[in-house]
Amino acid sequence: MPTAPFLAVYRFSVKLVRRSKRTKVFVAVAALPVVLALILQINRLASPGLNLDGLAVFSNVVMGFSLQFLVLLLSLFYGTSVTADEVDNRTLTYPATRPVPKNAFIIGKYAASVSFLLILLLVSTILAFLILMVDRLSYGTAWAFLGRSLAALSLGTICYTALFTLAGTFLRKSILFGLFFCFGWENVVQYFPGTTQKFTIMHWLKSLLPGIEAGMGPSNDGTGLLKFLLFRHEPSPVWAAILTIFVITAIFLGLACYIFSRKEYLFDE
Amino acid sequence: MNGNGLTIRAEKLGKWYGNVLGLSDISIEIGPGITGLLGPNGAGKSTFMKLITGQLRPSIGTVTIGGRPVWNNPEIFRRVGFCPEQDAFYDDMTGREFLAGLLGLYGYGPSEVKERADRALDFVELTEAADRMIRGYSRGMRQRLKISQSLAHEPEILILDEPLNGLDPLSKRKVIRLIKEYRTEGRTVLVSSHVLPEIEALTQSIVLVHQGKILAEGDIHHIRGLIDTHPHIVEVRTEDARKLAVRFAGEADVLSVKFDEAEGTVLFETRNRDRFFERLTRTAAGEDLDIEEITSPDDNLQSVFDYLVGK
Repeated sequence: MPTAPFLAVYRFSVKLVRRSKRTKVFVAVAALPVVLALILQINRLASPGLNLDGLAVFSNVVMGFSLQFLVLLLSLFYGTSVTADEVDNRTLTYPATRPVPKNAFIIGKYAASVSFLLILLLVSTILAFLILMVDRLSYGTAWAFLGRSLAALSLGTICYTALFTLAGTFLRKSILFGLFFCFGWENVVQYFPGTTQKFTIMHWLKSLLPGIEAGMGPSNDGTGLLKFLLFRHEPSPVWAAILTIFVITAIFLGLACYIFSRKEYLFDE
Repeated sequence: MNGNGLTIRAEKLGKWYGNVLGLSDISIEIGPGITGLLGPNGAGKSTFMKLITGQLRPSIGTVTIGGRPVWNNPEIFRRVGFCPEQDAFYDDMTGREFLAGLLGLYGYGPSEVKERADRALDFVELTEAADRMIRGYSRGMRQRLKISQSLAHEPEILILDEPLNGLDPLSKRKVIRLIKEYRTEGRTVLVSSHVLPEIEALTQSIVLVHQGKILAEGDIHHIRGLIDTHPHIVEVRTEDARKLAVRFAGEADVLSVKFDEAEGTVLFETRNRDRFFERLTRTAAGEDLDIEEITSPDDNLQSVFDYLVGK
């Protein structure tokens, strides 16, 4: 039975993503929360008097590392690589001379990157959670916090990867643009008061996290890093956040397909 | 698969890269058989190849395959195979995975993908190396793998951009044989090269491209005839330079003789290169001349084009 072009591209691209050298590096980076959780638990076991608030640590890891750094970094490198890698490595000719519509090429490659990143992020986050909460797994609020954290991380990956897929289709230095966007625009403008912060994707993602608008979880009494990260955040309703993220993801992907289908890619010979 | 005489047609085709002319006013029809696209580096061959494979959009004019436009028409590639010039691969794959992955993009099921990949690997004699990583392949193997991906779906039109580039003589012979084998059953094969003897080894039908335009097209003997109306320069390095110069000075087809005794070279200008070489071989053998080297400084494609454009 013939395979749909999108699925064919997806299967081919998953293999490429899994095999790439960058994957080995980023698997190690994504494993950092697990390593941190293990160190903290081992330390606690070694020092019986030490009190470890697993949920507080986990929320700090999710907010301070996974959401504000890891998701951005992974999405940046995998999103831009959807087309930029093929252009830089001069391999684009191969898929471009197959009976595959350009839209299917973009969507298939994007889906391959996103599915790989989701597995990486979710496995890392769930493992970190289980290790940190090993003695409090019956704590219901913690599971709810985990669920919403996973949702925020997943939607963040879907949305940022779409944005950087778009950037990769038309910018020669898409990584530079991405770095500026992630660690300049997103990291600064999200702290602006009023509606300005809504011009960041991070605003919508933070609105999904518990404790911000639902009065749930550890971030209500957050201190230190968490308090700083939620500084001046004026959460939007969860439904609005989800809708906004899906709409802008669709716009980014639509634009990426449009540009890719019209642009000619010249290789440096 | 039997070909049905599918043709590539370009009409008033032109391509600019900003203000730089890539190709200008190309009108041509390429039908079944092997056609050689010949031109020096930068002549516009690759631009033409990219236009007829839909990688570039024409600035002006049209390019069609089987009457259908090529740009943004991916279905064309069920009937067209393309081997690019660049030595670029997904290096973290084996040869078999590379082929199977690309065959998957045609929508074939797993068993058909395997069958076609095996057949294509066998055709280019890479079966034994099929499960090795591409990054460990020699240049010749990479070139053959590139060719295999272009014909694994058995296209009616096969387009090969400089397929003999950088190959050693043995690999070149192998690739030439493969291309000739593929031509059967009414298939159309278009091969580009900047080396005249490579094209001569493949086909009699050539298209000469120079500075983005078609300079001449047709039978290679016709082109050779055009070239032969111009004198050829032959340089011979020998210890008997003076003696050799004297032997050839009186020949009707030798237009000029210059010799440099210090360098031990004689420079001949002749109207009939074949007759000149025949006489040179006979003279060298008969008179026991010690000839160290024979070169033809103008026997290259650039010189051919210079002659044809009247430089």
